[in-house]
Amino acid sequence: MLSRVASNLYWLGRYLQRAENTARLVNVNALLLLDLPRGIPFGWQPLVQITGSDDLFRSIYGDDFSESNVVRFLLLDQRNPGSIHSSLHAAREILRTVRDAMPREVWEKLNDLHYFVIGQGEGALTRSRRGAFLQRVIDGTMLVYSVLSFNMSQDVGFQFLRIGTNLEQADMTTRILDVRSTSLLDPTGRPEQLAPLYNIQWMSVLRSLTAYQMYRRHVKARVNRTGVLRFLLQNRDFPRSVTFCLSRIAATRAHMPESRSVERTLLRVRALVQDANVDKLVEGGLHEFIDEVQMGINDLHEAVTSSFFTV
Amino acid sequence: MAIDWRQYRCENFYDELFQAPGTPRPAARTLADYLDDLSEPELAERRLAAELAIKVMGISFTVYSEGKNVDRAWPFDIIPRVIPLSEWQKTEAGLKQRVHALNLFIQDLYNDQKIIKDGIFPAELLRESVNFRKQCLGVKPAHGVWAHICGSDLVRDKDGTMYVLEDNLRVPSGVSYMVENRLVTKRVFPELFESQTILPVDDYPAQLYDTLCAISPRPLDQPNVVLLTPGIFNSAYFEHSYLAQQMGIELVEGSDLFVADDDCVYMRTIYGPKRVDVIYRRIDDLFLDPEAFNPDSILGVPGLMRAWINNRVALANCPGAGVADDKVVYAFVPKMIKYYLDQDPIIPNVPSYLCMDPSDRSYVLANLDKLVVKPANESGGYGMLIGPRASKDELDKFRKLIESNPRNYMAQPTLALSTAPTLMEDGSVEPRHLDLRPFILSRGSVDSTYVTTGGLTRVAMVRGSLVVNSSQGGGAKDTWIVDFDDVPTQTQSQGGAA
Repeated sequence: MLSRVASNLYWLGRYLQRAENTARLVNVNALLLLDLPRGIPFGWQPLVQITGSDDLFRSIYGDDFSESNVVRFLLLDQRNPGSIHSSLHAAREILRTVRDAMPREVWEKLNDLHYFVIGQGEGALTRSRRGAFLQRVIDGTMLVYSVLSFNMSQDVGFQFLRIGTNLEQADMTTRILDVRSTSLLDPTGRPEQLAPLYNIQWMSVLRSLTAYQMYRRHVKARVNRTGVLRFLLQNRDFPRSVTFCLSRIAATRAHMPESRSVERTLLRVRALVQDANVDKLVEGGLHEFIDEVQMGINDLHEAVTSSFFTV
Repeated sequence: MAIDWRQYRCENFYDELFQAPGTPRPAARTLADYLDDLSEPELAERRLAAELAIKVMGISFTVYSEGKNVDRAWPFDIIPRVIPLSEWQKTEAGLKQRVHALNLFIQDLYNDQKIIKDGIFPAELLRESVNFRKQCLGVKPAHGVWAHICGSDLVRDKDGTMYVLEDNLRVPSGVSYMVENRLVTKRVFPELFESQTILPVDDYPAQLYDTLCAISPRPLDQPNVVLLTPGIFNSAYFEHSYLAQQMGIELVEGSDLFVADDDCVYMRTIYGPKRVDVIYRRIDDLFLDPEAFNPDSILGVPGLMRAWINNRVALANCPGAGVADDKVVYAFVPKMIKYYLDQDPIIPNVPSYLCMDPSDRSYVLANLDKLVVKPANESGGYGMLIGPRASKDELDKFRKLIESNPRNYMAQPTLALSTAPTLMEDGSVEPRHLDLRPFILSRGSVDSTYVTTGGLTRVAMVRGSLVVNSSQGGGAKDTWIVDFDDVPTQTQSQGGAA
């Protein structure tokens, strides 16, 4: 396996997962806002913060975090490398360069989705058509991934795809937790008025990660902050929890060339997440903790890059 | 009935499918009848199905224009071009003969140069050739083959004679489209493949792979063969990735490879360096190795020429093979066939006037408005003058170009290229000019040479145009070699079935 191809597969996994997560995020936020009373000091800006592109957004749109600006920015804006359009474009460009390593059907599915986003994207800016558009993006990315899983030999190349996919998901899950928890913990308006809405907001966190149903089945308790944090950080069975993603990365080891630095970093980040005392974190230090996890994820990215891609 | 063949105006040229309006050639009768039976909406539907298939399959090519690389869907006409097997077998034999002679010629030029010593080929032509690589002198590649892959362009004149228009011995492209065109046609007209014997084309990647494995400098069961591409921005990138995929070999870029102190070539993998035995290179000579050629090239691999000369790696095609696809050298191919094989060419050359020859030159200059003038080393239809269509300024410009550098130009009569029915936007059918590019794989002897069944048919989509290059508005058709003796002659009775 060429280093360049391995790197491309890794990024392909990341971009596909990013497109899907972004679509879910926008979808859920729209639903959440419908449940909130007018004048609530929180709207579309957190989505930009979650994707870590606050500065970029401001440089393009200034301080106007209006629905139309944010939705355009996240869905279609080619100036935003993390937008759905850009992610799919990047995934497609990568697929073009690794087409020889891929089952043909993957290319056909992704190509199809890419043309759909280009063709129908503008329509998705209006609320009425957005839901269907985003659902199609979600379906499309999952279809690509599923074709990959069933039709591509699960050789070493596939492991890089898995690492990319899971690393991106772990990254996105922690970002969502980070932004949602800070914006929820420090309500600027009157706290007593917001109190009943907390749970709706935590439910929306779960929904952005399609975790609501699984949470209910696993936790068997009403939705609350501690429960949600514990579930999304430490649950061993839910595919979008940070622990699960990291364990999937660890599971690639059997098929991969050895790398001490990847192993060491992975061990460290997994321990950090698994050993965290969530009850305590809720009382203070959550943001700092998530920061640490994020840095760990970034270290893992660096370790993979230096071990396998820059030979 | 969507197509009324009686209205098909094909009298002015040799048409590949029709003898006269309303009268198909025997090998094309099944096809013509079938199309005749389709209703207008059905035909439109088939066309849409083809467009969709091309888009979904991602068959594309890249055009460089206005400073940007644009990935365009492959322009494809759904009406195939039909050639009877009996005619094709003769063409095939002609191509094998021709490419074998070309390989002998290249081997001779880089070694003994007998053809020059014997006065057949002028030494001055070699001295001035821009594709002659002195670095290759004395090299004897495996089986004496320099051009393992050749794409020769065939055209038919008004009387139906097939000519070789040029040979592409450097990095000919288009073969992937030949294979893909067939896949599209199968999706669009599956019925036609049941009622007659259309020879398959998809054997090419396997044949190419065998050809490449056979030149490995190490005797291995599975040599490490790679395809070297300039990258995603190259116009033929689609093909590079396609062929690598079909052969199951790595598609590499220059930066994936390096030459170590042992003069061997290695590729960078996640397990560390891995030795490469054969490189099917799709980048031009001058970009192959910045140490040997263009020092600014970032596409190539430093030291690659050293590795090749020391027989640590095989390159296909060999560097320097392009010396024989120069359009002036082309004029000498019939003489080469005679000289090396003592045979007459099976497929003729288009009559050519070499501007380096004083009498030819004065003829060319006097008849510029009737001739096609080609520079020796351009490809893709660039830098050409089509006399009958040129403005006075263009004629003057070429007159000066020829006078200042006669060696660089040759001229040919304007051929009345053959046509084939082509479906227009509005659903009507009109004749369009076309050519044919078969691909020839050489393995050291005439008998072991492989020729594709048919090849890539390129069509000039613009009415009256003779330029078939996809970079300049050309399209393509599927090419059918039909074993038409198998076809029942009672086609009339089957006609109304659909």
